[in-house]
Order: sequence, then structure tokens, then C-alpha cells
Amino acid sequence: MRDATHMEHVVRWARFVKENPTKWKAQHTEFINAIYEKAGSALDKITQMPGGKEKMRKLRELRIKAASSR
Amino acid sequence: MGGKQGSYLNAFRLNQVMEPVEDRSILDKFCMEFCSLVEKHVKYIIVSGFVAIAAGRKRATEDIDVIIESLDKEKFIRLHGELIKNHFSCIQSDSANEVHSYLKDNLSVRYVRENNEPEMEVKFAKDVLDNLQIQGRIKIPLTGIDVWFGSIEMNIAYKEEYLKSDKDLEDAKHLRIVFDANEEKINKCKELIRKYR
Repeated sequence: MRDATHMEHVVRWARFVKENPTKWKAQHTEFINAIYEKAGSALDKITQMPGGKEKMRKLRELRIKAASSR
Repeated sequence: MGGKQGSYLNAFRLNQVMEPVEDRSILDKFCMEFCSLVEKHVKYIIVSGFVAIAAGRKRATEDIDVIIESLDKEKFIRLHGELIKNHFSCIQSDSANEVHSYLKDNLSVRYVRENNEPEMEVKFAKDVLDNLQIQGRIKIPLTGIDVWFGSIEMNIAYKEEYLKSDKDLEDAKHLRIVFDANEEKINKCKELIRKYR
């Protein structure tokens, strides 16, 4: 179970979205894009490490296995 | 004006002053591109986490859930071919026949385009509940993206009644606040979920 303050943050942000229709989207987009850019950058670094390509291949296999078993 | 209708009209008003196209996120663009291809072949709905994210919830996701009407093999091969032609690939298999057999077995399949992008998790509608959701699909102007969603009330109901993880309950809370969701409709959706799931 997450700390109660996490839900408090969810509620605060949801109210911000509701009450600030011209402001939320830009902040939200910046946040979402940053997650994917950061993840992409980390994956690129892993690929360039010794044995990185093999690690990426194993990660891909795990992804396929997980997807197929759902 | 209260309830669902009022909420959506309110959302529309918000959208009128909100949405320069450059504000769309990686997820928004990815979802719109995929759905614009699917729409040519079959009715679909976006459900679950991305409904909340598109409506402003600040969290990551690895996949966007899509339910499509069940297709026979011939029609599915055309859809799959269009996705492949547009640089999507299916994680489970390159063979349209094989992907179709997964879907017919009520398994989900995942389409991706590049490593750093999310996945589209696709399922066939498998029962009355899924088909009801597709029939009642909506667009949500607040999101700024032109795709079909399952209703807000059904998404809240699923998350509160069926999925129930911390993440899902937070998504439901977000949707409740942003859309002033109709409690009576949520309860009716929960009854349907208890009946069919």
C-alpha cells in the first residue's frame, strides 16, 4: 500500500487539471515525454555497455515471453 | 446541468481554449497514429490506464489497452497488413494467421513501432460487457486527442470493482475528480462487471 500522501498528490493534481484547463496539458506533456526520453536514453546506454546488445536481446525475449503468457 | 452530460459539455468548453497541437505527448501521438489505422477496419475503444493518462493523470505506462470488435480471419489480415505497412510490428508473431489465433483465444497481442515507444495491447471484444462498451464509446474533448474511449463511468467501475491495485484506484480517483463522474452510472457498471466478470 502506498503512502497516503501519494493519493493526496493525485487528488491535488486532478483538481489542478480540472481548474486550470489552459495550463495542465503543457506540464503533463513535458512530464510524459521526459519519462520516455529518459527510458530511451538509459536503453541506449545499456546497448553501448560491454555485453549490452546481448542484455537488450534478453530483455526483448522476456518482453515477448511476458506478452505471450498474458 | 449535472451528471455525465454536463461533465462532457464542460470538457468540451475546456478543450476550446486548451489544445495547441504541439502539446501532444509521445503517448498521445502514438495512440492517435495507431487508432487512425485501426478505425479504417473496425470499431475500437481505448480503455483503462490511458483513459486516465489522456485526461491528465501524471504517470507512466508501458502499454495502451485497446479492445476491438471480433474480426474474422480475412478482415483481420487486412487490418494487420495495414499496421505492418505503417511500420508497426506484433511482438508475438509476424504471421497474421497466428496473431489472429491468439486473439480468437481471448489473448491480447502487442503492437510496437520503435524500442522507446509504448505498446498497443489489443484484444478482441470477448463478451457482452466489451461489446456494450464499444457500442457506447465516446470521444473526450478534454484529452485533445481524436480517438474513441470507453465511458468514464465504466473505466472508473473497472478500476474500483475489478482491478483494484493502488495505481488503478488512483486512476479512478483522478477520473472522478476531473469529470464529476455520475455515481449512479458507475454503480450500474459495477453491477454489470459483477455479472459478467
